[in-house]
Amino acid sequence: MLSKADNEFLTHTGPGTPMGDLLRRFWMPALLSEELSERDGPPKKIKILGEDLLAFRDTNGRIGIVEPHCPHRGAGLYYGRNEECGIRCAFHGWKFDVDGNCIDLPTSPPESSYKDTIKLHAYPVREWADIVWVYMGPKDKMPELPQLELGLVPASSRYVTKKWQDCNWVQSVEGALDTAHFSFLHAVLAKDEAKARAALAKAAIADQATPDDRIRWIHNDPRPKFTVHGHDAGLLIGAARKTDGPDLYWRISQFLMPNHAYTPTAFPGEIYYGQCWVPVDDKSCWIYTYCWQPDRPFSNAERAKFDGGFNVHAEIDDHYVPLRNPRNDYLLDRQAQKDESFTGIVGVSEQDAAIQDSMGPIQDRTKEHLGPTDVAIVEFRKLLMSSARALQTGAEPKAAASPRRYAVRAGGAVAPPDKNLDAVMTARFGHARGYVGQQYGLGD
Amino acid sequence: MLSKADNVFLTRAGKGTPMGELLRRFWMPALLSEELPERDGPPKKIRLLGEDLLAFRDSNGRIGIVEPHCPHRGANLYYGRNEECGIRCAFHGWKFDVDGNCVDLPTSPPGSSYKDTIKLHAYPVREWADIVWVYMGPRDHVPELPQLELGLVPASHRYVSKKWQDCNWVQSLEGAIDTAHFSFLHKVPTKDEKAKLEIFRTTSAIGAGQELQDRIRWVMDDPRPKFAILGHDAGLAIGAARKTDSADKYWRISQFLMPNHALVPVAFPGDVYHGQCWVPVDDVNCWIYTYSWLPDRPFTNSEREKYARGLSLHAEVDADYVPVRNIRNDYMLDREKQKTESFTGIMGVSEQDAAIQDSQGPIQDRTREHLGPTDVGIVEFRKLVMGAARALASGEAPKAAGSAARYAVRAGGWIAGPDKDFATVMTERFGHRHGYVGSEHGLAD
Repeated sequence: MLSKADNEFLTHTGPGTPMGDLLRRFWMPALLSEELSERDGPPKKIKILGEDLLAFRDTNGRIGIVEPHCPHRGAGLYYGRNEECGIRCAFHGWKFDVDGNCIDLPTSPPESSYKDTIKLHAYPVREWADIVWVYMGPKDKMPELPQLELGLVPASSRYVTKKWQDCNWVQSVEGALDTAHFSFLHAVLAKDEAKARAALAKAAIADQATPDDRIRWIHNDPRPKFTVHGHDAGLLIGAARKTDGPDLYWRISQFLMPNHAYTPTAFPGEIYYGQCWVPVDDKSCWIYTYCWQPDRPFSNAERAKFDGGFNVHAEIDDHYVPLRNPRNDYLLDRQAQKDESFTGIVGVSEQDAAIQDSMGPIQDRTKEHLGPTDVAIVEFRKLLMSSARALQTGAEPKAAASPRRYAVRAGGAVAPPDKNLDAVMTARFGHARGYVGQQYGLGD
Repeated sequence: MLSKADNVFLTRAGKGTPMGELLRRFWMPALLSEELPERDGPPKKIRLLGEDLLAFRDSNGRIGIVEPHCPHRGANLYYGRNEECGIRCAFHGWKFDVDGNCVDLPTSPPGSSYKDTIKLHAYPVREWADIVWVYMGPRDHVPELPQLELGLVPASHRYVSKKWQDCNWVQSLEGAIDTAHFSFLHKVPTKDEKAKLEIFRTTSAIGAGQELQDRIRWVMDDPRPKFAILGHDAGLAIGAARKTDSADKYWRISQFLMPNHALVPVAFPGDVYHGQCWVPVDDVNCWIYTYSWLPDRPFTNSEREKYARGLSLHAEVDADYVPVRNIRNDYMLDREKQKTESFTGIMGVSEQDAAIQDSQGPIQDRTREHLGPTDVGIVEFRKLVMGAARALASGEAPKAAGSAARYAVRAGGWIAGPDKDFATVMTERFGHRHGYVGSEHGLAD
């Protein structure tokens, strides 16, 4: 339970808010590369952390993310012409490059130096891992890009998309860190095996080698024991469930500062999944959903499966809005809810979205009641809120300065009951915190 | 650049705001006459300067513009019956005439004088130049109607329409008096001269004939016109001189008429004259009345049809006067056409203007603008309206409201020798340094 003040502190990210300042110390996904597919193509309106911005790809392929209004008379540069290495305002032809420099000001005489005094506000941009990243914080504090394994593998070995969500980003992250809900929200009720498999067709767990065991263990133990360890880039979150024997089934996720989370499912050889939440404003967010394989490319069939909605990837329209969303009640089928699945909603991603949106545009945490399976949520809030408070007093977030420490994995393991999380991690990933950066030359 | 306080001062037109009070000293277009075509027809909800009002045409053809709520229980008279010289509330039958007098109060006994104490607030209304005008200011300051030439010519010589716009009225008006933007916003980048001319001929005010090819080229080739401004009793004459192929200057001269009219700078003698009037609906929407007239001949039916489909400042509008290409459909912007056919990829001069003006935001943030030499018209306009609003707040009535005849002016284009100053150019083109033509219509010199 949080006080009203703490709830606002945690959830508000507009300019000048403490949490907004913290997020602005990190690179944020702003767009998918595919959204600006052409050089000199149409510019795109975007909104991040409550700020309206304009993105465009110039003649040389570079991307600019700039304030959307021309400094001359405030006309929207969205209606401008993206040509010859800059965006030109449609009103009076003022032209700006991706860094915001005014490179033509045709209403002033050619010899005038007025244009050198005019600047369009532009944020630093990087394109990496099929994502366009933007840094919206103070220029002298700009960190390196977080070295997610997603960006270290070849492009053929990753798949990246995004989905719109109609609620505050924090409750959606919290849904991902709370791996206890899998025993309920995503439960399959169908007794018939074919039907059960069909119901699981869009779940991560369906592509496991021995799905039936793991599903049964999750279903039968709704009270996993949580262990949480901090590291330089975030939190390692382990949840141990009973198996058929004395061994424990561990589902281990990662929270990476300030807004990434990895799913806890992958056994060795399986696909790794992660998500990144980017506030649009305080009541909606983009969730970048990504997956990768360290050892092989994705097949076309796998990509087609992700395109149709699978695991964290939602089934989306051309604007990346999920087809099943609050405006159509997620196409909830009450009959299917009686005999096929716990929610009657198709898709793990859509089940998550429905339950997270249903908490309200911004969850009122003054009314919640947390218990032992919510430990990860508590630790996540502590980390985020203490980092935001520390930043207000001048202490920079450690994670921003630890980009290599983002090269971690998360996943599942079956281990004897006497092994602690460190030992389970070392056995599963070769490192107590799941670090794999040494495989990519990032050092130990 | 304005301070935040000045930007608020300039753009807010609600009751009690300084700019709102200034606007209320002038007659405002409230409706087109055609919106109330029938006697005893359906009343119409309107909103002006942030006030919700109801308009109806009575059995005698008179128009009332009144507060929309019945004084009895607040029911909306829009649901009432417009019959026998008054609007009767559907709730309990109270009835009011166009002046707001209560003419029947059937819930009181027939002998009661209660109804004489009941009054529905009603504003003075005039119907003139196919427009229904309303005066929303203090009763002891009702001015004469502005004698725009539009209303002085026979009805056959004019065409009037209106269009909805999704932004504050001031930035839209500023777009009209900034004639420098024509070198960009309305540019046709195609190299095919014939195609270019055809695009201008069919969509824009700038030209209708072969000889206009030169003028189009001069506008495109000189993006830095030199501005000159002459103030007069009704507003500002705004000249912008561009280079031609010879030493001569091509002058494009517009007029701003207090507090919310602007005339376009295109017409040579014999051409069609165009003007616009911005009426705030509230602070983030406005109606733009668009009008054209010919001093010397009636419009043909084919000219009227052309305007009705959208031409020059007349937008292509739906049955509710909302432009077909608007902010809700991104003005049907075509990025491919933007590369090849027009600077914006948006069809229509009016729609290009609307897109760029709306894109400045619901109310442009003028604390962040950077004005330059081609924005002098805007600077002078702001000085005039803000000065008049400040003067009014300290008790000084606006001079323009008392100068109705001085609205009989024209605006247009001219080619003049390089040594001629603006006043001389005006006299050459219009026979008067302020473009005044009232004498041709029986108004004083």
